[in-house]
Amino acid sequence: MLLEARDVSKAFGDFRAVAGADLTVEAGEIVGLIGPNGAGKSTFFNCLAGDTLPTTGRILFDGADLTRAAPEAHARAGIGRTFQVPTTFDDMSVLANVMVGAFLRHPHRNDAREHARRIVELTGLRADQPARSLGTPGRKRLEIARVLASGPRLLLLDESLAGLTPGELQAAIALVRRIHQMGVTIVIVEHIMEVIMTLTRRVLVFNQGRVIASGTPEQVVRDEAVIEAYLGRGARRQRE
Amino acid sequence: MVLIQVIVGGLLLGAVYALFSSGLTLIWGMMNFINFAHGEFVMLGMYVALLVVVWLGGGPAAFGLAAAIALFALGVAVYALLIRHVVRGPMLAQILSSFGLALLLRYTAFWIFSANFVSLPQTSLAGTVAVGGIYLPVAQVVAGLVAVTLTIALHLLLTRSTLGSRLLAVAEDRTAAMLMGIRPDRMQALTWGLSAGAAGIAGALLATAYPWSPSVGETFGLLAFVTVALGGFGSVLGSLYAGLIIGLIEAISAYWLGAIYKDIVVYGLFVALLWLRPQGLMGKA
Amino acid sequence: MKKLLAQPASGQRVSVWLLAAALVLYPLVFSDAFYRDVGVTFLLAAISASAWNIVGGYAGQVSVGHSMFFGLGAYTPLLFYTLWGWPPLAGIPVGILLSVGLAVVIGLPTFRLSGHYFSMATIAVAELIRIFVGTWALVGGAIGLQGPAMARGWWDLTFRGDLPYYYIFLAVLALVLAVTFALERRRFGYYLRAIKSSERAARSLGVPVRRVKLQALALSAAFTSAAGSLYGVKTGFIDPDSGFGILVSVQMVIFAALGGAGTLFGPLLGALILVPLQTASNTWFGGGGSGLTFVLYGGIIVLIARFEPGGLFDLWRRLAPHLRRRAHAA
Repeated sequence: MLLEARDVSKAFGDFRAVAGADLTVEAGEIVGLIGPNGAGKSTFFNCLAGDTLPTTGRILFDGADLTRAAPEAHARAGIGRTFQVPTTFDDMSVLANVMVGAFLRHPHRNDAREHARRIVELTGLRADQPARSLGTPGRKRLEIARVLASGPRLLLLDESLAGLTPGELQAAIALVRRIHQMGVTIVIVEHIMEVIMTLTRRVLVFNQGRVIASGTPEQVVRDEAVIEAYLGRGARRQRE
Repeated sequence: MVLIQVIVGGLLLGAVYALFSSGLTLIWGMMNFINFAHGEFVMLGMYVALLVVVWLGGGPAAFGLAAAIALFALGVAVYALLIRHVVRGPMLAQILSSFGLALLLRYTAFWIFSANFVSLPQTSLAGTVAVGGIYLPVAQVVAGLVAVTLTIALHLLLTRSTLGSRLLAVAEDRTAAMLMGIRPDRMQALTWGLSAGAAGIAGALLATAYPWSPSVGETFGLLAFVTVALGGFGSVLGSLYAGLIIGLIEAISAYWLGAIYKDIVVYGLFVALLWLRPQGLMGKA
Repeated sequence: MKKLLAQPASGQRVSVWLLAAALVLYPLVFSDAFYRDVGVTFLLAAISASAWNIVGGYAGQVSVGHSMFFGLGAYTPLLFYTLWGWPPLAGIPVGILLSVGLAVVIGLPTFRLSGHYFSMATIAVAELIRIFVGTWALVGGAIGLQGPAMARGWWDLTFRGDLPYYYIFLAVLALVLAVTFALERRRFGYYLRAIKSSERAARSLGVPVRRVKLQALALSAAFTSAAGSLYGVKTGFIDPDSGFGILVSVQMVIFAALGGAGTLFGPLLGALILVPLQTASNTWFGGGGSGLTFVLYGGIIVLIARFEPGGLFDLWRRLAPHLRRRAHAA
């Protein structure tokens, strides 16, 4: 078991954004996380990445308890993440952005630069381009490159493939596959079912802060609870 | 008996601190912005009061209102011309904008009004009043009571009125507020107006009771920081309590240790707060 | 010329050597006491603004109370001289140690919080120290302290004329810039810029944000303290306002921000523009000019924040390609 999150919840005042969610991920998997807007997926991700302190629950990574550890400790342990709204270092070049990630496992500048160059090439970016000049798809790609350079064993992708054109989407799916083949375990939050269907073997459905269904992509899209969560009660009655 | 007099005097002054600090905390709560020029707004309120008395012969109601209106207008103008453009920019621009404004206002005031201390000519608030055996200047009593009333009014405006909920909606989520038909820029301009207006009235109130020079802006600005840090960032009610507490601490430490040491005690308190309880008394962790 | 423009990297190197040569030769060419004094003032401004730049510019943690370190640096050597007759040189490292300690005391609690807390804390602590020093008789109270009137040896750092000071200051400036340059290229420099851009993203990549910010502040405080010491021994006199006053902090901020906060030569450029301007306005308007100078400073800071937060270097970086194109077309 690479990642084990048990009974995780996060409350903001009276509002429970995550309410007792469980997730276990085996090394080598690609797991999909879907659910309607506001279902608490991003908050759950933030708990897994150490960005938000969970109100209850435990998070174990490779046997070590990371529940209360800082985000930088998560990164050192090998959990990498991207952000729903891409946060690149805009004053720096693409290569420098990726180098910040690479420095985690390559403290010397020349090693970090070499490593970053390989990653930049792999992700199909241009090393000397200023990050500021990238569009949203480019930024999302840069975020992936940056976190990949930090050498994660588990990668948490938060809607990294949203807002792409069909062509870009195919390239991005191929990139995620490459990363997976490099031995990185992946948890991916995504709205686009095509991505989930092609990339994942196992999907968890989030609603109101809890996992309401799990199984293969084909199974969950037929699940009554899932349909209801996405479309509301009316839709179910209509179908009946 | 003297001690009681000191305590009451401290609370009355603290009420005015609460009023202008609530302006600072309002802007922080609305847009996570620290206004380094807030003390200068108070200082300008004092000079507006002076000008109204000297030139127009206005009474306390007139110069209080004038200070409020003038500073409200200044606050809106500062937001529209400066703050609006930097608030989502880099941290450096955010801090430099209001810090530079503070210098600009402070030294322009030095230039125009000179560094000399001035005080208001006798107003209708002269004289003392005896309450339960202690004697207090009328001006101090009026300033304190008006300040408490206005601070509570501001608190109620934010928590009980439609306008308040609109302001909070913008603070919570700009985009969502826009979808609800609220215009964030207008609400934030209004916040700056209210904030500076509160500072302006507080200045006018202080002017009735104390002499001042352009450098008081720095002192009041720092006092507002301490008050907001104690009361919790973003909480008007917290500012009220904290203002009263700080007025009290100031008065007592000036009484026991000497006037010069009161600032050391207050700033020392601020440093201690940063270490022990950075979210303030009323703030959430 | 065309070649120079086409190769900005080598162009930069040439400009740096030209600048270095100009700074070395300046006091030899302008031997008049007035010009040398301006030169020394410029170097001191450039040193302290470059020191501020490490934490305020590169790390984006905007201190508006750096006078606390400057003042500690200025006071400590003179205090040791006054109390025990120690040579000022011996007090300088102690001042640096005290400044680093103070930096840790301020940085530890505030760097957990949003950057605004740090800014507020710096101005409040600087003011606290200024008032405190003014009431403390041991350190001279409101009157301040004096250094040795006559040198007992070179270690008293008390010289006739400005020339020795000029070259000492120049050496220290070179040291500050060299250290900044070296750090800029290392992991530390990348981490600083990442933190300035987005702390959250930096942490997600394993950057120990609090530690890096604290290191930057400590280094910045050490150099600022050294600048203060140089000022103290050069002037031979220090009081609460010239050591810990808010205007000391303002100058560091404005020199760095005008030239370009977070760039190696930005603070130097800012000082190069503003120090002569300040000297000129003081000469033209006499003592009354200083008030006007700070009106101007306030105005400049507001304009930088509103229109060019990147400073003149950033403006140049954006304009240069256009100018180059025009030069080619012509």
